[in-house]
Order: sequence, then C-alpha cells, then structure tokens
Amino acid sequence: MTLRTSEHMISRRPAGHFGTLEIELMMKVLLIEDDAGTAEEIVAELSELGFEVEWASNGIEGLDKARALHPDVLIVDRMLPGMDGLTIIEALRKEQVSTPVLVLSALGAVDDRVRGLRSGGDDYLTKPFAVVELIARIEALLRRPTDSRGTTLRVGPLELDLIERTAWRGERKIDLLPREFRLLEYMMRRSDQLLTRAMLLEEVWNYKFVPATTNLVDVHMGRLRHKVDGAGEPQLIHNVRGSGFILRPQQ
Amino acid sequence: MRQLQLIRSNTFRWASAVAAVFALFTIVLFGFIYWKIDGYLIARSDRMIAQQLNFMAALPRDRRADAISDHLGQDSRGVQYAGLFDPAGNRLAGNLKELPRDFKVGGAAQAVRVVPIGQPPGGDPLIRAIGRRLENGDVLVLGRNVDETREISSVVGQALALGLLPALCLCLLAGAWLSVRAQRRVEEVNQRVQRIIAGDLRERLPHRNVNDPFSRLAVIVNSMLDEMEAMINALAGVGNDIAHDLRTPLTRARLSLERGRTHATTLEQLQSVTDKAIGGIDQSLAIITALLRLTEIENSRRSAGFGNVALHEILREVCDVYEPIAEDKSIALGVDIDRKLHVWGDRDLLFEAVVNLVDNAIKFTPAGGKVGLELLRGDKETIVRVTDTGPGIGEQEREAVLRRFYRSDKMRNTPGVGLGLSLVAAIIKLHGFRLVIHPGSGGRIEIICLDKANGSSRRDN
Repeated sequence: MTLRTSEHMISRRPAGHFGTLEIELMMKVLLIEDDAGTAEEIVAELSELGFEVEWASNGIEGLDKARALHPDVLIVDRMLPGMDGLTIIEALRKEQVSTPVLVLSALGAVDDRVRGLRSGGDDYLTKPFAVVELIARIEALLRRPTDSRGTTLRVGPLELDLIERTAWRGERKIDLLPREFRLLEYMMRRSDQLLTRAMLLEEVWNYKFVPATTNLVDVHMGRLRHKVDGAGEPQLIHNVRGSGFILRPQQ
Repeated sequence: MRQLQLIRSNTFRWASAVAAVFALFTIVLFGFIYWKIDGYLIARSDRMIAQQLNFMAALPRDRRADAISDHLGQDSRGVQYAGLFDPAGNRLAGNLKELPRDFKVGGAAQAVRVVPIGQPPGGDPLIRAIGRRLENGDVLVLGRNVDETREISSVVGQALALGLLPALCLCLLAGAWLSVRAQRRVEEVNQRVQRIIAGDLRERLPHRNVNDPFSRLAVIVNSMLDEMEAMINALAGVGNDIAHDLRTPLTRARLSLERGRTHATTLEQLQSVTDKAIGGIDQSLAIITALLRLTEIENSRRSAGFGNVALHEILREVCDVYEPIAEDKSIALGVDIDRKLHVWGDRDLLFEAVVNLVDNAIKFTPAGGKVGLELLRGDKETIVRVTDTGPGIGEQEREAVLRRFYRSDKMRNTPGVGLGLSLVAAIIKLHGFRLVIHPGSGGRIEIICLDKANGSSRRDN
C-alpha cells in the first residue's frame, strides 16, 4: 500500500530540494521488498528523482546484491521470503558494511521498531507510508547531519551556540524555550532537507507513537518560525504543504 | 452395543467394584461370626463332656456301665458317644467299638475319629472326646458330636444368600441406572454444545436443581457462556464501529476522487481533490494504526521495558509539549507537582497515557477554559490527576468511554479516532494501576498508581 503524493513532487521539483541530490553523483539505492506493487511504486518514484534503483524481491537475492553492488543506501522490508530483513542487516553489519539502512515494516509495534534499529537499521518506517516520508528519510540517511563536534552551528544568518544555548539571527538574539532550541538545532543540523512531522516527532519530541492531536508539530513549528523569521526578514523555515518543513538558507 | 457401552461406562464399573467390595466385607463378617460361634459351641460342649466324665469317674465301678447306657439312652439325637474299656482295650460298655486310635488318654478335649457300634463302616464321625484312665485301669471315653455347628454354617450361608444377593443386585442395578442417567445427561449436554458450536450462542446447558453436582457444573458453564456471549457481542459491536469509522473517511475520499475525475479541468483542481482524498485515506490509516497499537498494548505481557519512571518529569514534558496548543485554543494549562514521585512502569507508555489524557482534556474544553495536571501522593498510591472545565463525562457514559470508538454525541464532530481513552485504559491495565473517571460537570480523570508490595515505587524529596 503506497500513498502517492505526486502533487508535492510535481510542485516541489522546480524549487528542487530533492534536486540537490540529483546534482551530486547518481546515488545507488537497493530496495529489498517482496511485494511487487509496492516495489514498483518506490522504484518509479526514486528513479524519477534521479536515483539509480536496484530491486531484489527476496532476502537471499537482496543480500547478494547488497554485497555485489555496494549501494549508497538500503531499503529493506522486514518480512521477506528466503531471509528475514533483520537477518540481512545483521549479516551486512558483521561484514563491516556500514551502508545506511531504512527498515520497512508492516508491523508498527514499538518493540519491533526497537528490534529493527538494534539489529543495525538506521531508520524505521511503518507501512503504509507516504512516498514523501520515504524519500525524506532516505535523504536524511544519505546526508549525514552536520558535524556535531563544533560548539556553534551556522545556517545562513542563523547561529546557534550549543554551549551558551543561545540563538542569533544576524545581530538579533532569538529567545528560545528549551524545546524550541532543540527543534531549531535539529533543523539546522539537517538544513535544506525535508523534515516530516513523523521525523520531528521521533527525533525532537521522542514520541514513539502517533499523537491524537495531529497539529502538534505545526503549533510548535509555528511558534519557532514566528521567532526565527521576524517581520520583514526573508523566510528561512518553509512549510511544505502536507509533508513537513525545511530550514533553507537564504538564496 | 448399548449394553457394552453400559458396562464400559465408568459409573457402572464403579458400582460393580463397590458391590464386590461390599460382598467381600459381608462374607468376611459372616465368616468371622461363624468362626466365633463355632469356637464358643465347641468350648461349651467340651465343658459339658468334661463335667460328665468327672461325674462318671466319681461313680462306683459297678454303676458306671448303667450310667453310660442311661447317658446314651437319654440322647435322642444320637450325638453322644461313650465307651468304657478295660486296660487291655476291650469294650466294657458304651457305643464305641474300640478305643480310638491316636487318642491321648488323660488330656483335654480333643477332636478324634471314632468307630461307633451299629453304624456302617466308613462314616466314622469326627467328635470331640475326653478320655481318662480310672483308678482300676479302665479307660473311660466320653464324646460329643459337634457336627451341629455345620447346621449353623448352613444357616449362616442362607442368611448370606438372603442378604447378600439382593444387595448385590441392587448395587448393580443402581450402577446401571446411574450410568444410564449420566450418559443421557452427557448426550443432552452434547446436543446443546453442538448447537452452540454451530453458532447458536444463546443456547445453555440444562440444569435441574442446584444440589446436583452435574447441575452445578452446568450452572458454572452457563455463566461462562453468558460472559462469552456478552464478549462476543461486544466484539461484534466493535467490528461495526470500526467499519463505520473507516467507512466515513473512505467515502469522503472516494467522493472527492470521483468528482475530481469528472470535473477537474486543471492540474490544480485535480491536486486539491487528490489532497482531500489522501486526507481521508490517512485518517482511515490512523484509525487502523491506533487499533493495532491498542491490540499490541492489550496483548503485551512485557514488563521487560519497566523501570523506575519519574512521573514529575513526564508531567513537565507533557505540559511543555501541550502548552502552545492549549494557548492556541485560549485554554490555560496548569501543572501542579506536589513533589518528585516515581513509579515502576514503562516510561514511553506512561508518557503516552498522560499525553492522551491531556490531549483529550484540551480537545473537549471550550476556549477560555482551564486544564489542570496534578501529581499527588496518597496513602499508598501516587495519583496523576487531569482536570478540565469541559463538559465532563456523565455517569452513564463512564463505562462507555473506555470502549473502543466510543464518542459521546457532543464529540461527534471533533476530529480524532475515538481510541484515546481505550489506549489509556489498556496502558493503565498493563501496569496494574487504576483509572478513575469522576462523573459530573468538568472532567476529572485520575491514574492511581498503587505502590507495589516490593517497594519498587518510592518517593523522593
């Protein structure tokens, strides 16, 4: 079951936040998924975005291709004929293969998620998912967050002092609540990337479930944006309708 | 076939076994009585012949033969035996042909075979006899046939037959009757059960009076069936609710897609229609996700993820997350933490429970209202209390709100999947805590975290 959200793709492509990937070298994705319908949708969507996609329909073939093709990112379904998805990841990790892995699963259980991540998966996505969500996560996996060893983060005019816990936009100091600071820090580390609500909930709020109030992220983001993007200043935090948010340095 | 079944039936076997044991005991009893009476009679007869022997031995010599014939003449039943023999062993008087062989003269009464006069050989009776050597060397033998004890044994045998046989028959009959009755009832129950298996959930097992164990069993099974019927009906109700709740957004999605397909002329129009449809599908998916989550928690037996959970931190965090949302709705969200309190539990699940309660409270409180979050310490429990100034939950709704998908009529138009409180209830149950919903205007829900006996819940200062 795949939710197609072609509208966002179409409307966003010219603005091209995914486009940044196209400019880079052709990224190779290996998809290990036994459901042909789902696989077809994912392959089509990723190819359209300029990824080179390989598809394996069972676990054994998947592991072979993962060893032979050296993909940049792996998308692995949990339940596969031949070999369980987690077993593949464990096998690869044992061989010191550190390729980022996104685990797909029809099981949404918290325990499952934990098991998926523990066995070496880097991120976990529950079926059904929106394609935007999948792509945002792949992009996040491909682009490692900005080096976190520095004591300050800079994106465009924004500057975050991780020691003093202060935020500046140019000369203007931004007063942030602790949660807002965490949110901005996460966004600055992943600037120019689409961050979906689910990603933010997981990473910033540590939510392991879908909250009943769906606009939770929006309300918090609204407040942060109000503080970051002052009157008359160019907008840095962008709302991608229906999918999530991007912190984009001024162009 | 039917007879075979009867014999094979346990009831009948037990009845037979009991009958056999009963018969054995009776036989042993009668045997004992026989043995005792026999001994008594022999002892009595021995005493009598000893007395007679003394009497005769004391008589003058010349009167002995007369006394013996008198003694024998008085014996109409022919059970008395007597013999007087000279030292050479020749008979002097009495009805004994000769001195019995292997006879100890001068001893106590003994059983001995004698040869009487005037009786055909071969039928030598076995009698109890005493012999004594008299002062002149003669030997006097007096005896008595104790065959009459045999009569007693035949009487005893008759009594046995009279008493035991009918008792045995009665036993077997009772066994057969009980066994047939049990079989009939089992058959009756079987038929009813078959009907229940076939889907007639309203069928119950037959029972007559409460003192019969079989009926009591039937009553117990019936109460179980009642419970199961109620549960199955509730499940069916849940199924209907799910179907209804899923159908609504899906219908909306389908309608907008259909309309878009016919009427949309530009890409923008088509996109907006698709957006709406995706929204509807997403809502359906959210319902399914919530349901799966609920099932997961309800079926979860894990306490591996349990640890010491700082409730005050959870409350602060929830407040932190929900403050902007409450503010947007012009609701004052207040948090009142008595002191730092810990409980034993799963941090993520407890967080989820509190989030759901606060989320609900904010959702159903009108603008300008208040939502309060408190952490208190009772005698033996830690209490998380969520209060609001909303409509509250009515007395008759208290049970219902915990049911899946229940939404009171005033909430019909509020977004949400209606599983929030069921989730909370499931989490609370998993922890062994209690959820208390206070009725009346203004919502007040409490999570009562009872202290564990092992002291895993503790207070900090």
